[in-house]
Amino acid sequence: MTRPLVEAIADMREDDALREVDTQLQNGSDPLQILEDCRQAMSLVGQRFEAGEYFVPELILAGEMLKEISARVKPKLTQTAGVKKHGSVVVGTVQGDIHDIGKDIVVFMLDVNGYEVYDLGVDVAPEKFIEKMKEVKPDVIALSGFLTLSYDSMKNTIAAIEAAGLRQGSKIMIGGGTVDEQIRAFAGADAFGKDAMAAVALAKQWTGGN
Amino acid sequence: MKMIGEKINGTRKQVGAAIAARDADFIRNLAKKQAEAGASWLDVNAGTTPDREPDDLVWLVRLVQEAVSVPLSLDSANPRALRAALAEVKQTPLINSISGEPERLNSVLPIAAEHGCEVIALAMDAKGIPGDAASRMAVVRCLLAATRAAGLPDEKVYVDPLVMTIATNTECGRIALDTIRAVRAEYPRAHISTGLSNISFGLPARSLINRTFLTLAVAAGMDTAIVDPLDRELKAALLAANLLLGADKHCLSYTRAFRAGLLETAKA
Repeated sequence: MTRPLVEAIADMREDDALREVDTQLQNGSDPLQILEDCRQAMSLVGQRFEAGEYFVPELILAGEMLKEISARVKPKLTQTAGVKKHGSVVVGTVQGDIHDIGKDIVVFMLDVNGYEVYDLGVDVAPEKFIEKMKEVKPDVIALSGFLTLSYDSMKNTIAAIEAAGLRQGSKIMIGGGTVDEQIRAFAGADAFGKDAMAAVALAKQWTGGN
Repeated sequence: MKMIGEKINGTRKQVGAAIAARDADFIRNLAKKQAEAGASWLDVNAGTTPDREPDDLVWLVRLVQEAVSVPLSLDSANPRALRAALAEVKQTPLINSISGEPERLNSVLPIAAEHGCEVIALAMDAKGIPGDAASRMAVVRCLLAATRAAGLPDEKVYVDPLVMTIATNTECGRIALDTIRAVRAEYPRAHISTGLSNISFGLPARSLINRTFLTLAVAAGMDTAIVDPLDRELKAALLAANLLLGADKHCLSYTRAFRAGLLETAKA
């Protein structure tokens, strides 16, 4: 039996979803359950997108709903038992590319799956990735890109990480709807994923998260 | 309205593969089909990295010219690639494109002026794509001042108001249409061209969105569009739009198209 919040989000009923979240928070529901509902809903949204029922606008709306729900839920989280962090991930859309819809959903999904996420935004220069890696020593680096020029940027970023002596021991994934094994090999990444679900699966694989 | 055939674009997977493999028949075939379908120019875009682009673009230009006699639209912002292609062309091409970005304007416009080319001018600058019609018009004014200073008459300039993806911003159709109207009013002798297919990216039934936008844009003053000339329904919509705007004397183009079976769609 699907919970009402999962259905509301997956069916793109924004008002219903937010009302449901507020009601649940007021009734003292477990905030972690709300985030779990979001995760399930996003999985459904992803499936419908893959099936050609949902399109880019639904992904955008889903991302907006998740951001809003996250903003309402987060303050409640600190009041409960601390959320266990399975690991940390640095995420960014590579230099020359400003596509962010998919990246933002990856950020959210990693976050609700228990990862500390550092979102560097879009059009991120290799130096910024390296700077962040030195600062937070993440378990995983996730490079996002959609344009064909992003493949070169991914390659350059990974080469720069190597040149900075940080490649050893780092796990790097690339993602976006257009990447494949050929591009993974070209860029020198450890793995690729086509959507947020794949990003989470890879992160779990690499950090031993449940 | 005139069509610039969009299909020979190396950023598309199949075409990119053909360019890499030097599949001449594939390219010649695409050129023939688009020319037969009524394209007034064929756009050629190598879609490769700057170091390979000149060779790839020259290869495309040679092949297309072997196959058809329609003029080319050279789709590149790379001066080296443009110069290499210009050395090969049999007719003066359209250059796709300049923009308000200083480096691009200063490196490409002189080449266009030197060769007497018509030029597509994108309504954006170093700050990016302006979010409203008024800001785009500010860029357009800079562009037309530059083209006039370079000796190009307005008739050689094809202003592109920038058609963005409606799936990511439901205002972008309106913004493009407002910009088209503003350009038409302020620069009556300039042409207006759009990269039409962008509007429908990420949504289903793209052809329906494309031809509907084409109709709206033609009514607003667009006279040229980068499209798929093989899209029969788009061409039929264009015939109907021209008819309705008083551009088809005695409705002759429309009825001729009907008799030629061009207005038939899959279902009644």
